[in-house]
This record gives sequence, C-alpha cells and structure tokens, in this order.
Amino acid sequence: MSLAPLYAKAAVGAVGPRASTLPDTVLRRSVDVDRTHLAAYAQVCGFRFSDALPPTYPHVLAFALQIELMAGRSFPLPLPGLVHVANTITVHRRVDAAERLQLAVHAERFVGHPKGAQVDLVAAVDVDGERVWDGRSTYLARGAHAPEPGEQSPPPPEIADGPPSAVWRVDGDTGRRYAAVSGDVNPIHLYPLSAKAFGFPRAIAHGMWTAARSLAALEGRLPDALTHTVAFGRPLLLPSTVELRTRRDGDGWGLDVRSRKGTHLTATAGDRPGA
Amino acid sequence: MTRSARQAAVIGGNRIPFARANGAYAQATNLDMLTATLDGLAARFGLAGERIGEVAGGAVLKHSRDRDLTRESVLGSRLSPATPAYDVQQACGTGLETAVLVANKIALGQIESGIAAGVDTASDAPVALNDDLRRVLMRLNGARSLGERLRAIAGIRPGQVVPEIPRNAEPRTGLSMGEHAALTALEWHVGREAQDELAAASHRNLAAAYERGFFDDLVTPFLGLTRDQNLRADSTAEKLARLKPVFGGPDGTMTAGNSTPLTDGASAVLLGSDEWAAEHRLPVLAHVVDAETAAVDFVHGGDGLLTAPVHAVPRLLERNGLTLQDFDFYEIHEAFASTVLATLAAWEDPAFAKERLGLDAPLGAIDRSRLNVAGSSLATGHPFAATGGRIVATLAKLLHEKGRDTGNRGRGLISLCAAGGQGVVAILEAA
Repeated sequence: MSLAPLYAKAAVGAVGPRASTLPDTVLRRSVDVDRTHLAAYAQVCGFRFSDALPPTYPHVLAFALQIELMAGRSFPLPLPGLVHVANTITVHRRVDAAERLQLAVHAERFVGHPKGAQVDLVAAVDVDGERVWDGRSTYLARGAHAPEPGEQSPPPPEIADGPPSAVWRVDGDTGRRYAAVSGDVNPIHLYPLSAKAFGFPRAIAHGMWTAARSLAALEGRLPDALTHTVAFGRPLLLPSTVELRTRRDGDGWGLDVRSRKGTHLTATAGDRPGA
Repeated sequence: MTRSARQAAVIGGNRIPFARANGAYAQATNLDMLTATLDGLAARFGLAGERIGEVAGGAVLKHSRDRDLTRESVLGSRLSPATPAYDVQQACGTGLETAVLVANKIALGQIESGIAAGVDTASDAPVALNDDLRRVLMRLNGARSLGERLRAIAGIRPGQVVPEIPRNAEPRTGLSMGEHAALTALEWHVGREAQDELAAASHRNLAAAYERGFFDDLVTPFLGLTRDQNLRADSTAEKLARLKPVFGGPDGTMTAGNSTPLTDGASAVLLGSDEWAAEHRLPVLAHVVDAETAAVDFVHGGDGLLTAPVHAVPRLLERNGLTLQDFDFYEIHEAFASTVLATLAAWEDPAFAKERLGLDAPLGAIDRSRLNVAGSSLATGHPFAATGGRIVATLAKLLHEKGRDTGNRGRGLISLCAAGGQGVVAILEAA
C-alpha cells in the first residue's frame, strides 16, 4: 500500500494554482482487514496481535484516502510541508479484525492557525451502518492563509516531571519500518539524507508511530471503547532515546513522550479521559 | 492418608482454539496467545482489575526474549498488575503441573485464587544462533582490547550463519518423541488398527462435544478460528488406515493420523478456594483431590520415554485408597494413540505389575467408553504446555455435568506423559 506515487504527484503539483476552499469530496472505501498486515502493524507499534484492532489501526487504513484527498489540486494546501499537529481517535466499541469496514474520509475546518492555516482530515469507520470508530487528524501548513480564523482546542494537560514510566531506544530504522506498515512514505521519515532535503537534520519518527507506541504501553489498562487525543510537539529525530510518562487521569490516562530535545507528544486516553 | 488441607476448586477454564503449526496463528507469539487467553478468562469470570493470588504458566518452546513470559502476559492483560506470576517448564506436563502448583498453594491457604496456564507455538519457535557463533560473540563481548576483539572476530566462519532450529528430539538419545513412542508401541505390541480406532474416536468425540455446545464456555475464538483446526469430524478408522507410517520404519504403525501434529495454542484454568468462589459468585465445577509426578530412566533404564504415567498412577491410587476402576472419566493425553494404548496395556499386564510396579496384581482394564469422552490431543492438536489446562477444564466440566444430571459425585483421572521421561497425573472430583 505504498503511497509513493501520490507523494510524487503531490510534489509535482505543489507549484501552481490551487483551490482556495476545501473540496466537499467524501472518499469512501470498503476494507477487509488483512491479518498479516495487522500482525506487522502490531509488531512495529508494540501492540499485542489479536482479533481486536488497536485503536490507532483504522487510521492507517484511512490514511491512503487522506493522502488521496490532499494530493489533488482541488485541495487548498500543498501536501508537501503539511505537519500533523494533533490527532483524536474515538473507538466506540471493540472492532474485530473479521468485520468489513466502511471507511469515509473528508476534510473540514479549514481555519487560521497562529503559524498559518490548519485543516482537519476526518475519517469514520462504520460496520453494517454502525459507527465504530472516528478519527480526526489536524494538519498545519506554515505560512498559509485560511478563509476564516480558527480557535485552537486546548492541548492535553501536561504531565508533571518525575521519573519516567519507561525509557525506549527508538532505532534509526523506525521510520522505514512504520512506513512499510502505514504506507506513509514521506521522505522526512525514511533516511537522514531524504530528511535533510526537507530541512531536518535526520529522519524523524512518524507522529502516529509515537502515538501508537505510547498507547500500546497502556496495554491491558484501557477499556475497549475509548478516546485518544494527541498533541504533537517537537519532531522526534531518529535514532533517539525517549522517556514515557503516564499518569492516571480520572477514568483514563494522561501520557507524554519526551527526550532531551523536548516533548514530542502529549496525550490522553481512556473512557472519559480527564473526567 | 490423612488430609488436613482443604481442596482447591476448579472454577472454569478458557482456551483459544488450537491451530495447526503455520496455520491460523502463524504470526502470533506465545505472548499474544497467552494474553488473549488470560483476557478471555478474565472476561468470562469478571476478573478485570482483580488481584489473583498467582498465575503459574509456561511454554515448552520459548524464546530467550520471553523471560518471565507469564508475568509479562499478566501485565498486558486485564487482570490487576498486582497479580504475581511465574513460569514453569516441564515439557508436555507443564500445563498440568502449573494446576497442581496453584492448587497446592490454595490447599495450604497461601492463596485464595490462582490461574494455571500454558501456551506453545511451533510456528513462532525460537531459532537460536549457531552455537559456535554464539561463543565467538560472547568472547567478543568480553574482549577488553582491540587485539582481543580482532582475535574474537577472526573466529567467525561462514558455516556459523546456519542457525540452530529447535528439534523435537531428546537431547540424550537423539531420537524424536515419535521414534521413542514407536519403540514403546513395538514393546507392547500395539497394533495399527487399534491406534487408528483411537484416533478416529478422538475426532468423533471432539466433534460431538463441539456440536452439543460443550466448549461454548471453555473456548474463545481467536484470529478467526472458532474450533480446533486439526479436528476432522468425518475421520474414520478406515480413512486413517490409508496413511503411510511416519515413525518406526516402513513396518511402523504410527502415522500422521494417529500421532499429534505440531500445534499452536494456549489454555488457562481458574482455581480458587470454595470461599473465594462463593464470594465472587462463581461456580465450583470440581476439586483437585491429589496429584503425582513420576519420572523414568528412558536413557539407560529400558523404560519408554512417555511411560512415566504408568508408574505415577499406581502411586496416586495407593495413596488415595482407590482402584483404577473407581473413575467415571479417564483423560489420558493422546501424545500418540500408541502411547495411550501402551499405557493401558502396561496397567493390565500381571508380569509388569509384579516386576516393575511392585504390585501383587495389575491395575486392570478400564471401561473404554469413559476414555477421553470429549476428544483429546489427536483431534485438538497438542500445543505442549497448553494441553494440561485444556484437559483440567474439560474434565472439571464433564464431572460437573454428570453430577448435575445424575446426582453422582463423579471422579476423574488425568494422565499426561511428558518428554524427558516424566509424567504428571491427577485426580479431580465433582464438587
């Protein structure tokens, strides 16, 4: 499921006239889960391989549709340079790998951001007409303009300093390994050289890998139905050593991933996180 | 014998359907399967967040990364992380030995609840570094100077890239389990026809048990599998008779049909004191009465590799004042059909009783209609460490059903042979 051709198309189309408002396209697709792919995803992200889809897994299924939507000229922002700044996932019930998933992806909330313009790519998963999963990925285009001003949703609360719950060595090939299971082959994640071309000193981890890996660390502590809200911080350069901090937060959990370079993500996860 | 301790209750069990190696669970690890099985048990008995006295589990084929596999699995499960756990390894006896260990602690009052578990995968089996290469790398790791490091590296040879694949063979004899069993089959004159009949009965009984919903509260589907992958409901002795022998040479009697295949799977059994079960409003299916483990010298002593239960059962019967005929159900693990038949033959043999078991009379024959009535390993498959848990939960439910239907407080015997010349046997009694 490599998206390389779409990236290439987006790179070529990055220059030239674009639409000024969001397309009202809704991209839809039916998906049967490939258990071999699921096993590979679980292994890369640290989830147990079972029948229940990891909360972040439908995101990779919907990601190809996100890119398809964003790569065209009818999309007001050029795909190269879009930064994933926030992500929210709601799992309404346990989703089984045997279920046929109806995916729908559209864009909304094209609004201003202190550093440019942002847009939400919204994905929904239905099973036989029942909504089982919702995802909202917020992307920032630095220096871009949006037709209307936007309001920033407050980031998840910070976790107090203190000893970490876990310390991970994140290997240099993490971006390539996640690219292989997510289809997100954005060059900034793959090799030091390809990342340098886009202004990063080294390859950086996919935000959704860090989000998934830190959520997987709460294995066994989360209910089947949950909301997972992530605010991404500093890019995580590869390889790195990072620290995970977790905190019981009402009925859910708060967590963050940090290194000496700063905080890479802050998240909440649970039935009613923060409640 | 005098008993001062209380008896541990078998409350229920959970397992995933067993899969043929490189089948439905080819990509699942021991940790994946064991965690799913514990979570299924927790869901069935409302144990999410519950601190259990202990979880004893194990695997026979285990990666070095799976240090304290059971504890890792508990930490990833819905059970309380305050639940202690430890690993046990006793070849195919592992799953029953864990039940005995947990039951004993409950009997002594050291814990009020416990889970006995086992898991094995032949699909995700550990492949070790070539041992010569491993020694070179250990030398390299311990080298303190550049010269020492270079000398260590110079010890690497092309042939060392060939890894060591685990083999189903005894380290001291070099023979596989099947080859050992073939020797025993020959010694006890176990015929081909009897083996095929036993195998067909196993498939028939397992299929019937599934049909009547017997496993509905014992098995949780996993990775798309709802029944044991090895089950052939239409198996007959006639069909099995067409298979070529795989052990014991061209004249051998053991085939792929009357031997267990390599299998992936996991099982867990919930045990507790009667008080704990009552407090948690959980049923008690049966009690663990007693257990015995025996070992034989299969290397130099002339005993068969899988014949230790032959010795364990008479000791267990003697201690409990029972005869072999005092049971409503017999669960004799079908490592190979010939193993079951050789075990029964040994118990019926007067000379063996006198000379080897030191008994005046043989234990005698059993009522074969009470043997493995819900199928056994030939039909389910045999993920080594998971078989004990499968049998304990199955027998406990059989006893409970019989008690409910007839008012008879039945008794069951479990006999499990294990590699390394060991055998674990136990008695359960309906609650």
